[in-house]
Amino acid sequence: MTVDWVALIPALPAIAFALLAPLPRALRNRLRWLGLAAVGGSFVLSVMAFAAVWPGGVKGAVAHDASWAIALVGGVDLSLGLRLDAVAAAMLLMVTIVGACVQVYSLHYMRAEERVGWYFAVLTLFTAAMLVLVLARDFLTLYMAWEVMGLCSYLLIGFWHEKAGPRRASQKAFLTTRVGDVGFAIALAIIYATTGSFEFDVVLGSAADWAPGVATAVALLLLFGAMGKSAQVPLHVWLPDAMAGPTPASALIHAATMVAAGVYLVIRALPIFEASGVALTVTMLVGALTALLGGLVAAVQHDLKRVLAYSTISQLGFMFLAIGAGGAVAGMFHLVTHAFFKSLLFLGAGVVIHATHAQDMREMGGVAKSLPATSVLFGVGALALAGVFPFSGFWSKDEILYATWKHGHHLVFFIALFAALVTAFYVARLWCRVFAGPGGSKRLVEGHPVMLVPMGLLAAITAVVGVAAPAFSEFLGYTGHWPDPAIALTSSFVALGGLALGWLTYGRRDPVLNVRALVTRAPRLYSIVEQRFYFDAVYDRLLVRPYIRATEELSRFDRVWVDGAVNGVAALWRAVSERAWEFDVRVIDRLVNESARVSRASGSTLRRLQTGRVQTYQRYVLGALVALMVWIMVKGA
Amino acid sequence: MPPLLTTIVFLPLVGAVVTALLPRQHTAWPRMAALVVSLVNLGLVTWLAVRFDVDGGLQFVERAQWIPQADIQYLLGVDGISLPLLFLSALLLPISVLASWKISDRPGFYFTMLLLLAVGMNGVFVALDFVLFYIFWELVLVPMYFLIAVWGGPRREYAAIKFFLYTLFGSVFMLVGIVALYLHPAGGTFDMTALVGAGFPAGFQWWVFAAFFLGFAVKVPVFPFHTWLPDAHVEAPTAGSVLLAGILLKMGTYGLVRVSLPILPEASVAWAWFVALLGVVSIIYGAAVAFAQPDLKKLVAYSSVSHMGFVMLGIASGTPEGLNGALATMFAHGVITGMLFLLVGMVYERTHTRLADEISGLSKQAPVAAGMLAFASFASLGLPGLAGFVGEFLSLVGAWRSELVPPAFVIVAAVGVLLAAVYMLWMVQRTVLGTPSPAVSGISDLNRLETAILVPLVVITVVMGVYWSSILRYVDPAVTALLAATGGM
Repeated sequence: MTVDWVALIPALPAIAFALLAPLPRALRNRLRWLGLAAVGGSFVLSVMAFAAVWPGGVKGAVAHDASWAIALVGGVDLSLGLRLDAVAAAMLLMVTIVGACVQVYSLHYMRAEERVGWYFAVLTLFTAAMLVLVLARDFLTLYMAWEVMGLCSYLLIGFWHEKAGPRRASQKAFLTTRVGDVGFAIALAIIYATTGSFEFDVVLGSAADWAPGVATAVALLLLFGAMGKSAQVPLHVWLPDAMAGPTPASALIHAATMVAAGVYLVIRALPIFEASGVALTVTMLVGALTALLGGLVAAVQHDLKRVLAYSTISQLGFMFLAIGAGGAVAGMFHLVTHAFFKSLLFLGAGVVIHATHAQDMREMGGVAKSLPATSVLFGVGALALAGVFPFSGFWSKDEILYATWKHGHHLVFFIALFAALVTAFYVARLWCRVFAGPGGSKRLVEGHPVMLVPMGLLAAITAVVGVAAPAFSEFLGYTGHWPDPAIALTSSFVALGGLALGWLTYGRRDPVLNVRALVTRAPRLYSIVEQRFYFDAVYDRLLVRPYIRATEELSRFDRVWVDGAVNGVAALWRAVSERAWEFDVRVIDRLVNESARVSRASGSTLRRLQTGRVQTYQRYVLGALVALMVWIMVKGA
Repeated sequence: MPPLLTTIVFLPLVGAVVTALLPRQHTAWPRMAALVVSLVNLGLVTWLAVRFDVDGGLQFVERAQWIPQADIQYLLGVDGISLPLLFLSALLLPISVLASWKISDRPGFYFTMLLLLAVGMNGVFVALDFVLFYIFWELVLVPMYFLIAVWGGPRREYAAIKFFLYTLFGSVFMLVGIVALYLHPAGGTFDMTALVGAGFPAGFQWWVFAAFFLGFAVKVPVFPFHTWLPDAHVEAPTAGSVLLAGILLKMGTYGLVRVSLPILPEASVAWAWFVALLGVVSIIYGAAVAFAQPDLKKLVAYSSVSHMGFVMLGIASGTPEGLNGALATMFAHGVITGMLFLLVGMVYERTHTRLADEISGLSKQAPVAAGMLAFASFASLGLPGLAGFVGEFLSLVGAWRSELVPPAFVIVAAVGVLLAAVYMLWMVQRTVLGTPSPAVSGISDLNRLETAILVPLVVITVVMGVYWSSILRYVDPAVTALLAATGGM
């Protein structure tokens, strides 16, 4: 049997997890590097995979294809399969690089944790699942990996489960994404009922021939699933809370990879969306709304990680917007660039949080003086996020804007432009609050090299990968015009303008733009944004609490009515039989004295049964049963 | 050597007799005897499964005249539908024996009852003559009654009598159905294999189906016939709960697949929407009520109502996917719920409480127990890659594909998957996570025996979840044959 090297890419970390998971804690803690070694191996294989696809990677061309039948149902083979194409190869590199960086960083960041081995084990399982998802050749494989990632996310968000916050957040994350998964699961059922298969080739190949209603239904249900995983409005509420988990885990799962899985799903299922048409528009609108709302909320948050979380929501919105507008390649490109610079930002935030022992930006300031290296690296990520030339974010965002404009979605284009402005604004706000300014007198400890080196790698990629944009687009099968100078200039102007606006508001001792004035001018508006558009409150009021109340009501209904009916029948029967017995005693007893004696005798026998002398009775029953069975045996044989 | 199936069914009876006759002063002998018998039984069933030809239809048939005057036969056989359940029964028996290792109150009587229960459980899944089937069906009640009534909790007598009478009430209707089939000119036999395709008129089928269904529905149990279940589970000793949830509930759905679908195909189609409706109601209702339960055993009991709803839905669909899913859920639920009950029992032994509010922080105090509980919970909520997912997913797919089940039902059932996550995570959050509560502080983690009981179930859960064929290779040909014999549904 030859070893399938592409299968090894996810198999290595999966095996590492399987080895680590059953070990006793102390040993597992000692072997924490095993996961990193496995992900490193996956990285090397991913480079090979990329090389196998690289020149002339034509869209849809499959370089490698393998599947394993797991069941035969109704004569139809259900199988799990992996395949390698250009999109998958690009994702493989991204996932293994970010995954390895995060693991290296965590070696130092998490070193003091009691259950550090478990942390690495779950991180490694997550990486395996994400790699399976990337390589999936059918919807079933993708869905299974999707759910396992959800489990890992749950376990990592709740890593510090002794505290109530992480405990609640992990549950909220799992359940909110599972709301989306209900849609995903129904979509799978429809897909199977329509095509008799889950394989991309079969399903997507026939999507154009489906009844338009079917395509729209499937696409919208898949989109719903994607919205849960990728934290799109209105299913975004779990992601900010998910920041309760360890920061490096947030960097990998809740910034770079898992939350991008929804985007990836839509890209994979694009032919269904195209067959529908309507679904594409919905995708675009959901993305536009999320990009805008996420950005606005990010601009008023005080918690450093929450700013980044809302920023992630907003940036994922850009990706959906791009795909919906017809720029799937642009969306894909932004997915990759965002993964690098956002995980960089999170890792940087981790250093700052460790150094300042704070997460609230109002307690920070002037960090740049004592953390120069971290500041420079974070700055690279921040500029990329703001969309400043020549950092990676500029290129991918520009491509999104270009695609939106070119396909004639002018209103959405302006929404995206405004969201970009807000993005640059909150980036400046964050920078001014945390890194710039006078700062405290306290001397802070710069990040350990084990943390800074992976950040440096991510920063380097962020600085240069944008240049590869044309090649990347071509690699993914995009043919067409490359940057439109007018749009590039506009977006640069917007990015710089947003930064300037932020600096004018937060960067100066005597702010030119006074936030207080704005808050007092429009208190209602500000509080709506500050209350995160009330999504959590509404869900709590309309879903969570009514459900809890309903379960309590149902539980009482069950006890009082459903069970009550049963007990009522029993009581009724007892009453009837007591009456009958009374009748028996009063009437018949007087007539036939003898029968009363028999009745009393049997009564005392029964009483004996109730007073605990069960053995006698047991013997009878047992004896009777055994005799019966022996008789059956004899007769049977 | 006597025929294999007879040996499998009656070996526990021999064990029961021996156990009952053991001298009373040796309190450890009964459990040893029971363990040996149960392991031999498991070995025999495994041997059967190895020799089983997946494409061979009904196998290991033993047929003998029993009461020729009434044409009652001693007829046993096994096919791909009954084999997984027979295996499940054989698997859970030694686990139940080991879980009862510390029983000190009349151990001889206890293990006699456990083995007697095994006779009924094994027998139901291999009997192919209605009279024999009915005898085994009722035989199960007696030992379970005693297990609950003698070794149960504070309200054991109430729970045991309720269990006994309620299911007896149901099976009386089943008996009516059996007699009706026998007396009908097209029937005239108790041979279940001969009744397949007998061509009963549709109107007759309709009400016979109703009679059988009532019997099965109580056993499953389906809303609104389920209230005996939480009481029985709460009061039963751990092994009783494991076998009750693991095997006894499956007898109801097994009856639907073994009796209703093949013998009453037209009525099965006519009633499908109703069966599906009750299934869906059970899914949602069970999940919602489970969430509100403070008692962990009740929570797991109501979760069973919810999971068995998926089985009903899959059966009602009448599609290969749905039936495969139903059988897969039956098997997986037996394994996973077995784990849950075992763990709740093990925790209870240490904390002396089953209230979720009083148990927290298990993972800090007893990491192995907590890990196992979390694992079983995620398996139960249908995490892909573990056994619970296989059947629920296929049931949903099959129900969507079926023309007998309205799409709205499927959508509601899919929401049930979400609700399962709600109550299970809520349970995990309260018990596994957090800081140890007073009841939990100081307790010991699982010992070697307890871990050894659980590990096989964990392994099976993973293997089945990853490699569905491990069970479906038996089920699918049998289901296909069943649907072919009834002309599809």
